[in-house]
Amino acid sequence: MRSNLRALGIGAAALLIGLFLLAVGLELAGYDAGAALAALWDGAFGSWRAFTGATLVRAVPLILIGLGFALALRGGALNIGAEGQFYAGAIAAAWVGVHAGGWPAWVALPAVALAGLAAGALWMLLPVILKLRFGVLEVITTLLLNFVAEALVSFMVQGPMQEPSGIYPQSAPIVEAARLPFLFGSRLHAGFVVALLVALALAWVFARTWWGFRLRALGEGPRAAEVSGRVRAGRMLAVALLWSGALAGLAGAFEVSGVSYALYQNLSPGYGFTAIGVALLARLRPSAIVLTGVVFAALEAGAGAMQRDAGIPAVAVYVVEGVVILVLLLGDAAARRQASRRAVPVVDGSP
Amino acid sequence: MTGRRVRAWLLVGALLGGCTAREAPAPFRVALVTPGSIADAAWNSGAFTGLNWIHDSLGVPVSHVEARTPAEQEEALRTYAEQGYNLVFGHGFEFQGPAERVSTEYPGAVFIITSGERVQGNVAPLIFRLHEASYLAGMVAGGVTKSGMIGFVGGVELPPVREASEAWVAGARAVNPQVRSRTTYLNNWDDAALGREAARALIRVGADMLHHNADAAAIGVFQAARETQGVYVFGANADQAALAPAQVLGSAVIDLPRAFLLVAREVQGGTFVPRVESFGLASGVVQYVPNHALDSLVPAALAARVRAAEDSIRQQDGP
Repeated sequence: MRSNLRALGIGAAALLIGLFLLAVGLELAGYDAGAALAALWDGAFGSWRAFTGATLVRAVPLILIGLGFALALRGGALNIGAEGQFYAGAIAAAWVGVHAGGWPAWVALPAVALAGLAAGALWMLLPVILKLRFGVLEVITTLLLNFVAEALVSFMVQGPMQEPSGIYPQSAPIVEAARLPFLFGSRLHAGFVVALLVALALAWVFARTWWGFRLRALGEGPRAAEVSGRVRAGRMLAVALLWSGALAGLAGAFEVSGVSYALYQNLSPGYGFTAIGVALLARLRPSAIVLTGVVFAALEAGAGAMQRDAGIPAVAVYVVEGVVILVLLLGDAAARRQASRRAVPVVDGSP
Repeated sequence: MTGRRVRAWLLVGALLGGCTAREAPAPFRVALVTPGSIADAAWNSGAFTGLNWIHDSLGVPVSHVEARTPAEQEEALRTYAEQGYNLVFGHGFEFQGPAERVSTEYPGAVFIITSGERVQGNVAPLIFRLHEASYLAGMVAGGVTKSGMIGFVGGVELPPVREASEAWVAGARAVNPQVRSRTTYLNNWDDAALGREAARALIRVGADMLHHNADAAAIGVFQAARETQGVYVFGANADQAALAPAQVLGSAVIDLPRAFLLVAREVQGGTFVPRVESFGLASGVVQYVPNHALDSLVPAALAARVRAAEDSIRQQDGP
């Protein structure tokens, strides 16, 4: 409990420092920082419409991808290819959604989501095989597959999946039945509820299951875990990574069936990378990822408002996101140093 | 419920409503949504200049936002309409679909789609036949090229971009039927490094005349031209001679600010009727602007031929 509070404190401090530096930078550049931050707040939380339609809509992919990233990293694997898995999921979901004519919604919606999950996992299959068979670092393979996925989307929307008139670089729209319903009369789609459920499920897996415990053991001390004979490292890691990819694919599917209703080239504004910050800021805790996902989504939603209402380039917000991560990493390093200093006498005392 | 309680609730309602009060009966306001950075020295910066002209000439509040993904683009249009902006420019072909979806919910707002496609409700396109100027650029390129190979770097393969590319090649072939051409699409409007790579690849296969329609990514095309002897480049959307004064032979230019101001005046005055407004060479909004510092590279006979073609296109356009 105390460590939870402390983590929350460090996270909040990191965020405040980031916002403070943004304000200082804006003042130095000759902008009105007060008006900028007010616009940022308004655009993210200022109205019910902004909160649901701008902030929470962006939070859905960030939460889902963040959860997947946390799942893999708990087992010690870094999946930085969520952007690619997102696009793989989006392609599959759009394909199913376009061809779901005549299906009832209760068939079409799960089919679209499953297509996204499966495609995301499939996109992760090659890195998993390469890692287990040849020890190729998943950091490299997942990252490189991002570029392949982006190229694949470009090919799809200009080739096999291009809309019938053949003019626009986009797919045909998905059928009505494959579109996620909106919540509370806003533009927030039902994918948000699924994201919350996934967070709950993962929290349970991490905290209450034998599998979650072994995964963590594997992540924190792979050698020890394996030597103990209780952990089949390769298989656990494969499962964690595949689910990680699947969740990013699901995020892509929801973006198509809840927001854009068609496949486009630049569907993601970099969710796959922003979500890494989301997961790190939450220290890989599923419940906290929901919170930090909303915070980062609010920053990005507010960025648009800042440009609209105060004339400040939206990219300024990336400064905040960057500073938050830096402060966290520094805080972690400091904490670890403290801990190791305290641990020294114990080691000395043992024979 | 007692009367007093009702009044108390009304008061709370009024206070809550207070935050949105500025959105109610507002003055005439104009907004612009660009698909990329306004630091591209061409397509988006021209629109932003147009917005500033509207602000200065009409004395009305204006606002701008950049929106890259389809979701953000629709959201930006919707937000402006929701805030009560009377005129919203969606700066590019890709805004046509989102604007049609949003406009049904906000019949009070006028949406102008630059390079748009068709009229639907209060959505109207502002079409620039930039390809007419790209054709003239192609003629110059076809006459000046030594290698007989010309290259085009496009951002995304949207219809207006494809038209510009085809006109550029047609212009070159009109002068020299033997000209070969290569076209590259970046699938991107912002990545100058990618633009540079694409231009270098075209140069490597022998292209010595380059033209583009790639917004900020084209900055890299000019870089590549500056780095290679004997390669010349033609700007697009704005007079881009300043980006490489010794390499830019001319530019296919759209006078975006003028077109923006024309439309804004009409909408403000209440005389605007949704229609397809199309500007070509005849209107003066689209022009081919030669870089006179390099006039010596263009033979007089070729220059005369280009001028003649320009006149005939103008006459076909009508008044």
